[in-house]
Amino acid sequence: MLESMMKTKLFAWVDRRTGAEAIIKSQLTEYPAPKNLNWMWVFGAIAMTVLVLQIVTGIFLAMYYKPSAMETLGGFSVAFDSVERIMRDVNFGWLLRYTHAVGASMFFLVVYIHMGRGMYYGSYKEPRELIWIMGVVILLIMQGAAFFGYLLPWGQMSFWGATVITNLFGAIPVLGDLIGQLLMGGFSVGDPTLNRFFSLHYLFPLLLVAIVAGHIHALHTVHSNNPDGIDLDQSDPNNVVMFHPYVTMKDAFAVSLFMMLYMYIVFFNPQMGGYFIEVDNYVPANNLQTPAHIAPVWYLTPWYTILRSFEVKLVGIAAMGASLAILFVFPFLDRSKVRSARYRPMYRGMVILFFIDVIVLGYCGHTATTETLKVVGQIATFYYFAFFIGLLFLPKIEKTKPLPEGV
Amino acid sequence: MKLNTILLSLATAGMMLTSNVALASGGGHVLKHANVDVTNQEQLLRGLTVFSDVCMGCHSAKYITYKGLMAYPELGISRELADELRGEKPMMSGMITDLSPADATESYGKIPPDLSLIVPGRRGGVDYVYSLLTGYAHDHNEKVPDGNYNTYFPGNSIAMPDPLGWLDHDAEDTAELEQQAEDVSAFLAFIGDPHQNERRAMGKYVLGFLLLLTIVLFLLKKEVWKDVH
Repeated sequence: MLESMMKTKLFAWVDRRTGAEAIIKSQLTEYPAPKNLNWMWVFGAIAMTVLVLQIVTGIFLAMYYKPSAMETLGGFSVAFDSVERIMRDVNFGWLLRYTHAVGASMFFLVVYIHMGRGMYYGSYKEPRELIWIMGVVILLIMQGAAFFGYLLPWGQMSFWGATVITNLFGAIPVLGDLIGQLLMGGFSVGDPTLNRFFSLHYLFPLLLVAIVAGHIHALHTVHSNNPDGIDLDQSDPNNVVMFHPYVTMKDAFAVSLFMMLYMYIVFFNPQMGGYFIEVDNYVPANNLQTPAHIAPVWYLTPWYTILRSFEVKLVGIAAMGASLAILFVFPFLDRSKVRSARYRPMYRGMVILFFIDVIVLGYCGHTATTETLKVVGQIATFYYFAFFIGLLFLPKIEKTKPLPEGV
Repeated sequence: MKLNTILLSLATAGMMLTSNVALASGGGHVLKHANVDVTNQEQLLRGLTVFSDVCMGCHSAKYITYKGLMAYPELGISRELADELRGEKPMMSGMITDLSPADATESYGKIPPDLSLIVPGRRGGVDYVYSLLTGYAHDHNEKVPDGNYNTYFPGNSIAMPDPLGWLDHDAEDTAELEQQAEDVSAFLAFIGDPHQNERRAMGKYVLGFLLLLTIVLFLLKKEVWKDVH
């Protein structure tokens, strides 16, 4: 279909003015992809699908959503009312909103697996360091967008979650108060906060699209890594397949399979037992009543645990910042020449333990702290950093396995 | 390949753990199971009666309009009944109690919460609401007065006086009161998300379509890749 389209006169006319044919060839039909990519390589395409769905559903939701904290009958607000109007009165509004709200969780799920893939197979290593770093920027922007978006329904968890997080910024020395006030548009979370968060929630996905474009451009410049983590001659047809139709069909199948899971949740279990849409957020925001237990949504809980693992608040904030900042230097900490964990027995153990560690951190951050959980969280925090520091010394002691010649 | 298996099994385990977690509420007691069916019109209408006769003495459900009561196919009440329920209020009015916030505060010390979202908005959901309505008891420590002690309420001291008359009811009334509590819980579960039945019905077709699409794409993928070795 693509080929017959590219033979038309209209296409020739467009091509002469845009170079469209060269773009299609270099990015799709003649873009080589290693043929040994396994199913872990589909999560980038899935993440892009979710991003598009989030933007499309978000645009329609914004047509009905009203960012105002003005109080309405029964202790609700204009914002809360507008969300309930979407859920109840707007045609298929419930579908838009559940797709969007569940989509946030699915986006993080997919991106975390995508990152895990990159860590396991060494996709962050030379010459793909910048792809990884742009990916970390994407993650930070996603976290920002999710945080801003979570305030919009103006429920109890919206309000108190935003209060806790903006107070964290307030604890930063010297500039803290200023940053906090800039974020909140005042001295506490209120109507101005809601307005600016809505504006930023609309802005961040646009930034995301731009950086994702850079992420993909860089990828297509250096080409995909592969499960063996070896350098491949991209012009050798024994090593590669063309992106279209081979990878596009594989991705399409994977996206469709993923959509089954996603839509199952949207249609049959949209709150996911309070993990995707928290129970307390069905209660309107009340600045006089703190919920019994304030916890961020699951995808932010690992960092929340790191924050809570330190007695001194400022140290906790620094540790949380460091836990994200260390991701930026991750490609430079690990200097082993071998990429894939398949041929790095020690790294393989460390990175699998790291994945489990992040899940443990997430669990500890979601539940109310007990003494045991606190200690578990502290040990998990210790390992989070120990993993990265350990990478500095790993090449000196690790005996890597011999790499295969080709695929 | 190992990584696939590890990650997928972790993800699946996570999904299974997170879904359908019935969290016991703050009272520290395991909630009673409410036998409710939000597709059962008879139960929903009985629940509506309890709601308008008992709950609406103090509570509102501002997101449910009288027109909505007629329009939702699960309820589908007649125009006459809607007129009877709404009295002087307009058709598009929410189900708003006649008790003013000031009077409520004077009588009960606080404004009764709106019940539109009481089921999704409480841990334990419909089981919690049912347990609460049938959870009035005598305080062993005799600190909380009768009618304000509830086994399932966090902290046990609830401002809402026993609405169904559960405390010290005659043994032969138990079944009827439990029925009332279940019916009104069903109604509240329904109004918490009034498109839930439509959503679940549509979901079957959506998943059916996606399943077909996935199979077709899988076969297509296999076909395209068959010459790659």
